[in-house]
Amino acid sequence: MSMLSIQNLWKKFPKNNGETELVAVRDFNLEVEAGEFICLLGPSGCGKTTLLRIVAGLDFQTSGSISINGKIIAGPGSDRGMVFQEFGLFPWRTVLKNIEFGLELQKMAKPERLKISQKYINLVGLRGFENSRPYELSGGMKQRVGIARALANDPAVLLMDEPFGALDAQTRNLMQKELLRIWKETKKTVLFVTHSVDEACYLADRIVVMTARPGTIKEIFSINWERPRDRASMEFAALRKKILAELELEMDSSSTSIKDSGSGD
Amino acid sequence: MPSSSAARYKSRVTYWFKTGKYKDIMVMAASLVGFIALWWIASDIANTTYLPNPAQVFEALVESFQGGNPQFGILPMQQNIEASITRFVEGFALAFAVALPVGLLMGYLRFGEDIGRPIVEIFRPIPPIAWVPFFLIILGSFWGPIWTIFLGAFFPILSNIIFGVRSVDPTLLDAAKTLGAKRITIFTKVVLPSTVPFIMAGVTIGVGIAWMCIVAAEMLGAEGGGVGSYIQAENNLSNYPEMFAGMVVIAILGIVTLGIARILEKQVSPWRGKK
Repeated sequence: MSMLSIQNLWKKFPKNNGETELVAVRDFNLEVEAGEFICLLGPSGCGKTTLLRIVAGLDFQTSGSISINGKIIAGPGSDRGMVFQEFGLFPWRTVLKNIEFGLELQKMAKPERLKISQKYINLVGLRGFENSRPYELSGGMKQRVGIARALANDPAVLLMDEPFGALDAQTRNLMQKELLRIWKETKKTVLFVTHSVDEACYLADRIVVMTARPGTIKEIFSINWERPRDRASMEFAALRKKILAELELEMDSSSTSIKDSGSGD
Repeated sequence: MPSSSAARYKSRVTYWFKTGKYKDIMVMAASLVGFIALWWIASDIANTTYLPNPAQVFEALVESFQGGNPQFGILPMQQNIEASITRFVEGFALAFAVALPVGLLMGYLRFGEDIGRPIVEIFRPIPPIAWVPFFLIILGSFWGPIWTIFLGAFFPILSNIIFGVRSVDPTLLDAAKTLGAKRITIFTKVVLPSTVPFIMAGVTIGVGIAWMCIVAAEMLGAEGGGVGSYIQAENNLSNYPEMFAGMVVIAILGIVTLGIARILEKQVSPWRGKK
């Protein structure tokens, strides 16, 4: 049995005239093994973020089911942690207090809380910034806090919604490297939404390429190369080219664009 | 840190000079001096008892602290100030205590808004001063002025709180949900702290309006003195320098309270306006 299972998932939104429906996700099926790193890749508006939000419990599917370790999920839960493109850090809380947010909600005792938050502060490389406020940090550091905060709850699955999309190209590459290190140390299952082919090729065990809206799986690419991967290698370029070609076909059917770069929007 | 206040003062002065901020300060000082000069000239030209010059007003101000005018029931200035401040604090505290829960409910719950909105919209356009005669008749000269201040401060605080609750960053709400927050914890741990800067903005605006209301209310009648009562009493006696001295006191008190509100605003939410 796989750890995360998405079955026959549909998401429809009512259109403005109230009659016809907009289909955002169409019959999506995916089985994810424990510890796997999955990238969801697709043109803008293909429903990949909607899909991730449904897994997070922030949106609800029209039909279909999602289960984690065999347990059907409904609504948000601490078995899933989420990292947001816009960071979503609480500006009135220090770095430490941001990371402890989920633990506070669990009514964990203070010394224990501190032990866990300190562990994740060290893991993401934020030692010395415990008492800084988010506005005093750079984008990359903010996202380190975001990752630590999500991990502090010890979720089974880490959901990441274009987490490096708001960062500059250099920081983005560094954060990708850092994420792989963190992933190796924590052995989490990761579901990572991106529109960057380069990012997906660098990170994923499997790349799930989605069709234009209504979004469903177009093709899945399994990559079993060693990490860290060499962006300049022949095979990397070949894979990137292949996926880009797939996506270009999708772009013909929708007017949205896709980028092959580490630069984000 | 030891010796910090002297060091801080010195660094601030250097900062003023380095950034050219001293120019702003000099211009501001010149503007103030210019205003007083213009007032003086205007007073000389008008040559009427209704417009005393700055020196006469200053003299009256100093004297107003020395015993008042007992045979006409005029209290010494410090007692008037005390009465006004007490009234201000009472009315303002009342306004804050009511506006906070009402504003949070109206901002957070749809039915809260549906209940509150029509009533608020009816009362909002009525200037608080318009209530003064009614309040004085119904509530008397003790509670009347306090309720006028209440009305003056209530609406700006209320609308800022409602706006604040609605302006909560949706990503923060999502983040809290994924970390396990339920409706009540979302409210106490996300909505409430997010709203703090807006509450403080409402307080700052409310402070200014409350001062205007207090003077107007006291002029129409207040028990136990007050700077507004003082202005009215001196006016009745045709003591115009004293009347102006009362106005100066109001201005100073207004500036001080607003200053306190602004400092508080910065202390409470240093993260405001920063991403």
